Amino acid sequence: MSRLRKSGERAAIYAMLAPTFGLLAVFSLVPFLWAFATSFYDYEVGGESTFVGLANYGEYLTDPTLASSFGNLLFLTVFGILIVMTAPLIIAKTIFSLKSERARYVYRVLFLLPIVVPGVATLMIWQGMIYGDTGFLNEVLRLAGRDDLTRGWLSDPNTVLWAIVFIGFPFAGGINILIYYAGLANISDSVHEAAELDGARGFGKFLRIDVPLVMSQIKLLTILTVIGTVQGFEGLFILTKGGPGFKTMVPGLWMYMNAFSFQRMGYACAIGVILFLLILALTILNMRYFRSSEELTAEAA
Amino acid sequence: MNRRLSQTMLHAVLIAILGLTLMPLLFVINNSLRSNSELNHSFFGLPRRTFAELFEGYAYAWDVLRPYMLNTVFVCLATVVGVVLIGSVSAYVFSKCRFRGRKSLFMAVLAFMMIPGVLTLVPSFLWVKQLGLLNSHWVLILPYMAGGQIFAIFLFKSFFDGLPGELFESARMDGAGHFRLYWSLVLPLSKSVIAVVAIVNILGTWNNFLWPFITNSDAKYHVVSSGLYLMGQSTVAANYSTMFAAYVLAAIPLLVLFLYATKPFMAGVTSGAFKA
Repeated sequence: MSRLRKSGERAAIYAMLAPTFGLLAVFSLVPFLWAFATSFYDYEVGGESTFVGLANYGEYLTDPTLASSFGNLLFLTVFGILIVMTAPLIIAKTIFSLKSERARYVYRVLFLLPIVVPGVATLMIWQGMIYGDTGFLNEVLRLAGRDDLTRGWLSDPNTVLWAIVFIGFPFAGGINILIYYAGLANISDSVHEAAELDGARGFGKFLRIDVPLVMSQIKLLTILTVIGTVQGFEGLFILTKGGPGFKTMVPGLWMYMNAFSFQRMGYACAIGVILFLLILALTILNMRYFRSSEELTAEAA
Repeated sequence: MNRRLSQTMLHAVLIAILGLTLMPLLFVINNSLRSNSELNHSFFGLPRRTFAELFEGYAYAWDVLRPYMLNTVFVCLATVVGVVLIGSVSAYVFSKCRFRGRKSLFMAVLAFMMIPGVLTLVPSFLWVKQLGLLNSHWVLILPYMAGGQIFAIFLFKSFFDGLPGELFESARMDGAGHFRLYWSLVLPLSKSVIAVVAIVNILGTWNNFLWPFITNSDAKYHVVSSGLYLMGQSTVAANYSTMFAAYVLAAIPLLVLFLYATKPFMAGVTSGAFKA
């Protein structure tokens, strides 16, 4: 009897877990394994697929876009990290320093508001309304009588990368501020009081007390930024398609173009695998060497 | 420095940054109410139209955008219902049932979080193509559910772990089965965490661009993101007023959700859900 009940219980448990594992198997595990398998083939949709071993990987090492696309990726990543470590943290600290609890809440809500605009719309708004021929920047320059400085900000090779990284200026919208704010709110008052007794004031206190104690959040947002940039070519696809020339090409976008413009699925999968290994390595590095605030506190104690 | 003066300065700094942040959106709203000839004449300026004319751009934009909006809403709702149901049931099992392999199965679910989308984009496309799912709502809903449930299980499980175990044991003693426990104990207690999971999920689905763009070439199945992009590539793009109106329309559903659920959303972000 109890044996029967036990096996019934087991069956119920597996039945409850079945949808989760079914979906994961079909829509995550299969594509995951397929990515590796396809990367060893020369495969065009509708054509024959031929096993080519590591040839796709070898070809990528001599790909004409390799140097410039990884250079661009590095530029975008470094800039992204610098931004995510500064602007939202400083704004969160400024909000947190307000006396009125109501004002703190209202500012947090208002800074979160831009999240309701779809990402594609935000990019298109900056593309047309800010950087376009008759967009904000050029119109301001014309009003200032500096017609000579007007240009297509996203088509001029000298400005395109900077135009891209400045999208979203002043980098205050979204959830990053809330994440930092939560970290700041977790710092106990006694820490601040002790620091003030030690004579810590203003910006020095911010650097010595607040920054180490929100290191968990800095660490999280940094790794999310890195992973997001390595993966994120959507924005570049919408804004420039990697142009002018290969000026804004990144490896992910090149993967996409090989798959969906040139129909080279095997080659695209090989690039995908390389990016996966890069992300994996960066994640492990981050877990190993970037200390969290808990560890920093433990060391200080 | 005087305390009150420094508070005023903080407000001034924040208002300035906020102004810069919201400025593009204010320009979009303003320009969506101006006619194309006004827009061609000058970038800056307020709408100078009669009330009846003000929303001309909107009428046209809504005609183009309406099917995309309906598709997105349908896909969002189907996905979020699936994610909340499947995620909460699995999290309930991982949190409240004792069985062999519980820990390793839970770790297996979390391991899927490590698979980046850039790796699986191309093979996923080849796979759904072979399954015959291209150009349908399912090609969006099923993969979104598969991916979205992972974070949901993680959030639900940490919430359920916090619920007292005695509650469940005494209910089981009274002869309650899993379904009753889930339906009349777990769900009513989890309203706040359900709201958080739902909002995170809806935001993700609403913003997705690339996957709908490559899997649904048939205009019948476009969602807001891919639809807006294709509008920008089409002849409509020359019609600035319409494009601006389309951006505003595309933001309204999430704005409504945001205003309706500000508190659970902010609570979710600050509850420690996003911490390394």
